[in-house]
Amino acid sequence: MTRARLISLLANSVLEVVLVAACIFFAARSPHFLTLDNALNILRSVAEIGVIAFGMTLVIVAGEIDLSVGSMVALAGCLAAWLVQAGAPTPLAILCVLALGFACGGFTGWMRNRYNVPTFIISLAMMTILRGAALKLTHEFPLTPFPNWYDFIGSGRIYGVPFATILFAAVFVVIYVLMNLTAFGRAIYAVGGNAEAARLCGLNVALARILVLAITGLLAAISGVMLSSRMMAGNPNVASGWELDVIAAVVVGGTSLRGGVGSVWGTLVGVIFIGVVANGMLLLNVHQDGQLIARGIIIVLAVLLSRLRRIQVEV
Amino acid sequence: MAAPSLEVRDIRKAYPGTIALDDVTLTFRPGQVHALLGRNGAGKSTLVKILSGAITPTSGAILVNGRDIALRSPQDALANGIATVYQELSIIPELTVAENMLLGRLPRHRGIARFAVDRRAAEVVADRTLDTLGVKLDVRRKAARLSVGQQQLVEIARAVSRGASAVLLDEPTSALARHEVAALFAAVRSLVEKNVAVVYITHRLNELREIADQVSVLRDGKLAGSVRIAEATPKTIVELMFGSSPSAPAPTVAPAQAQPVLQIRNLNIPHTLTDVSFTLHAGEILGIAGMLGSGRTELLSAIFGAIPFTSGEITIGNQTVRAPTPALMKRLGLAFTPESRKEQALVLPMSTRDNLCLAALNRVGKRGFVTRATQRPTVARRISELHIAAADPNRPVAFLSGGNQQKVVVGNWLNTEPRVILFDEPTRGIDVHAKQQIFDIIRDLSRRNIASIFVSSELEELPEICHRILILRAGRITAEVRPHEITLDQLVARCMES
Repeated sequence: MTRARLISLLANSVLEVVLVAACIFFAARSPHFLTLDNALNILRSVAEIGVIAFGMTLVIVAGEIDLSVGSMVALAGCLAAWLVQAGAPTPLAILCVLALGFACGGFTGWMRNRYNVPTFIISLAMMTILRGAALKLTHEFPLTPFPNWYDFIGSGRIYGVPFATILFAAVFVVIYVLMNLTAFGRAIYAVGGNAEAARLCGLNVALARILVLAITGLLAAISGVMLSSRMMAGNPNVASGWELDVIAAVVVGGTSLRGGVGSVWGTLVGVIFIGVVANGMLLLNVHQDGQLIARGIIIVLAVLLSRLRRIQVEV
Repeated sequence: MAAPSLEVRDIRKAYPGTIALDDVTLTFRPGQVHALLGRNGAGKSTLVKILSGAITPTSGAILVNGRDIALRSPQDALANGIATVYQELSIIPELTVAENMLLGRLPRHRGIARFAVDRRAAEVVADRTLDTLGVKLDVRRKAARLSVGQQQLVEIARAVSRGASAVLLDEPTSALARHEVAALFAAVRSLVEKNVAVVYITHRLNELREIADQVSVLRDGKLAGSVRIAEATPKTIVELMFGSSPSAPAPTVAPAQAQPVLQIRNLNIPHTLTDVSFTLHAGEILGIAGMLGSGRTELLSAIFGAIPFTSGEITIGNQTVRAPTPALMKRLGLAFTPESRKEQALVLPMSTRDNLCLAALNRVGKRGFVTRATQRPTVARRISELHIAAADPNRPVAFLSGGNQQKVVVGNWLNTEPRVILFDEPTRGIDVHAKQQIFDIIRDLSRRNIASIFVSSELEELPEICHRILILRAGRITAEVRPHEITLDQLVARCMES
């Protein structure tokens, strides 16, 4: 019994174990790795993608996908810059941007229900529309109208802790609570695991889908504000390909693309794991080519590991 | 020369915990249509799967022409001249009729073009085969544009073109319209003329006289009997299927003069339900008896708002509804356990605990928060009250047995404190013991004044549990009977009369 317990515990925390192993490996190779500064640096560098990944976890668990998040990040920064340039107070500009993110995500969810089009298609269309809108708004050049205090969101620190990291942690807590402790969270798992059963249980399937996509749109907009703050510019060309990085982090965290299975905690570990590997390789002077190859291999291994875990559970 | 006959000898198939087939011996003769009957779970599909090579028997022999053959794969079966046409057809929609028939054996051109398929040759072969079956079809047509019946004929033609000496038809008429059945029977008769042994699985008793020569009935994995159709009456066949045990008397007396809780008036769904009206009283257990395709599942689904209906109204309590949705009907005190547990009722990757709390998420939670702590009392209560054998309620519900899964579905709905529960096939695929437990639950609900509508394709269950039975035939309610007024074969006959 205790041995079976141990095996199942290990099988269930394979990724955590691998993360610790990776940390030990990098710490042994580089004296700079295991420092508080570097740890905070990692947690800062993953914040912008990580914030979106928590939302994407909801979306994927609900059995959907959102490919428009990268473009949303770019548009969010550009729209904020454009509004500020046009004379809007910066806080109001930020609020508008967040509302836009929520609305765009919600629209994708609404289309999915109303016309029964896969979110893969709708969000693919949204991806190009939003990117196009960002380019149009800025005439393809970065806008830099932000007041000085604006850089605090992306680059500021409180007692030495990056504000972006605090945001990242806050979003994790909120989404974790939402997913694990609320009726809405149960509904998301039910809709992704068996939408027909959820419907016949009288759950509001449409609302669940719309809300998870809206929340992810909102988080992508927050991420866009963070990024534009760090660069002090609204740049229409940033964050291209982020949707895939985000999905990779979620999948590495053990969430199944088939829906119904996954966890916010897993995504946190997945995001940090990818951040640790990127940081460690940087310290070891691995070039970008090597980094990309390594990341691809990690994704494949992580998926194989989670399959192994599923087999273990069934025994 | 006699064409090869197909024989199974002492075939047994054991699964952990159950014996699906128990030493069955049968001979399928060439030029004969041999019908296989039996209720769900009697072992028909297991036998078909064994003969088609999809599964291997635990023991026993399969003989073709007296020679023992081992079937290890569907390819083995085909090589021995045994072809199977399953309920789920294996037609590829984007290919033509000819291509579908000759798939894997398409004729090629000669010489330099020998990589290319010789369409003309294929079409000629396909055309000739269809001709011998008396089927008129353009062999160049895409299969996607054929009706289900036509696709089935293409599959039969495929078997013939392979030179099959035995053809297994698995419930071939279950998805067919009336006129398509005639075409199918014509094709089956031409198979008989070609001296093919036809194994015909069905649950439609009224087809037998028209098509079958021999009838064998399986019951609980055993051969209950085999008779020539000329010597069999419907009564003997029903007795073979259900056993001759007298139907159990209704266990509880119908509540006298109880309040009506649910009234259905003139419910219509085109081609499915016609002017269905009835009233259900508090604490009553009402059975709906009907054959497959009679509209019983659609009736329950429509009442619950799972599928739309074109006209009619539903009154529950004092509310009248014309466009129900599951969420609305749940609020009004209706509960629904659908026909297929795994596809419609349970979220398999979720835990037993979560599945027990889905329908009543807001009751189980506190101000929108649902945690293990808020779930615990509800889950513990249902598990003990319904005797759910779940070693660990935190594990996925997929690990439970069928009977326990069904109890989870029922428990999930009890949390909504319903006035009426619609049970669609609650006993499907569960063992006898679990079935009795489900019955006990329904009776107990009745005592607590909760009414039930009970649908089962196992007709003998209805008199055992119901206070009153409505006969549903081709979408109409044709009669109302009391369980003690009717014998089982009368009930079966009433459901089948045309």
